[in-house]
Amino acid sequence: MWLPLLGLLFGAIIGSAISFEIPVVYVKYMSVAVLASLDSVFGGIKAVLEDTFDGSVLLTGFFTNALLAALLAYLGDRLGVDLYMAAVFAFGVRLFQNLAAIRHYLLDRHIKNYKERLEK
Amino acid sequence: MRKWILPITIVCIISGLLLSLQFKAQASLSPNPIGERNEALVSLINNLEQEIDQYQENLNNLRAELDKIENSTVSGQAEIEALQQEIQKARLQAGLLPLKGRGIKVVLDDNQAGLKAAPNDDPNRYIIHYENILNIITELKLGRTEAISINGQRLVTPSEIRCVGNVILVNTTRLAPPFEITAIGNPDILEEVLLYGEYDLLKSSGFPVSYTKHYSDNPVEIPAYSGTYQFKFTKINE
Repeated sequence: MWLPLLGLLFGAIIGSAISFEIPVVYVKYMSVAVLASLDSVFGGIKAVLEDTFDGSVLLTGFFTNALLAALLAYLGDRLGVDLYMAAVFAFGVRLFQNLAAIRHYLLDRHIKNYKERLEK
Repeated sequence: MRKWILPITIVCIISGLLLSLQFKAQASLSPNPIGERNEALVSLINNLEQEIDQYQENLNNLRAELDKIENSTVSGQAEIEALQQEIQKARLQAGLLPLKGRGIKVVLDDNQAGLKAAPNDDPNRYIIHYENILNIITELKLGRTEAISINGQRLVTPSEIRCVGNVILVNTTRLAPPFEITAIGNPDILEEVLLYGEYDLLKSSGFPVSYTKHYSDNPVEIPAYSGTYQFKFTKINE
């Protein structure tokens, strides 16, 4: 249950421990990739809660979303269109939707449990 | 183990990695690392300049002492007096004596009004560059000037006129605009070479430049060169 959180922490520690730094030029594209990956994480949790989870969908979605978002942002820069804003917007909206769904689901479950306990 | 744990953990690890990397990149971005390094360099420069000042003072004191010794030994001996005159002449030629005389004073300043009027233009076109000063110096030399100083820095053989960022180095001293070039010579000839050269170019491109001619009733003053002459590699070829 707590393994994903531990994984997040583990990744963060690795990231801050290694001396690699993203070149300043790519920071913008990286930000979109980060958003995409966060979106995947919450989407995955939501899928788990809704019992529609599929590991391969999550993994492929994670990598393609992050890569495509960064690529689109890069393309937008070449074309002089701020496409990365669109990516930020899309992923932001989805992130909040996923979070809201997770919250709804947890709340529903909690209330159900509470009622069951009252009935006993 | 439930089947969802592993994929989500993998995704979480990578997300954490990306997050911390991005975090690091942003953190190093905002407090401008170049600025920090610049500050370190500025303090280094300031320290070195202080050191230079100290050495300069030392040098000046030693020179004053030397002068005193040279003058005290004189007691009617014609030979020593002749030697002293020779020393004085050598010093004059080396630029180690403060001078005054007829001449010209040129003031060059950045074209700030022009830059304000065209803020999108390249600012390099509105500042005085070291090349401008070099050209004017060369033209003044063409006008047979005998001594030149820029903002109180006497030009001698080892003097450099060099661009370092937004200031100009002369005698390893940083000079900032307005640049006041003082030259001793025939004011009329100097004026003429000035008006047919770089000065005229600057004036016609809108730079706030000006010059004043000084005759013997109002002579210009030029300080002595306060640095040293070093001969590490030079040998007199006899």
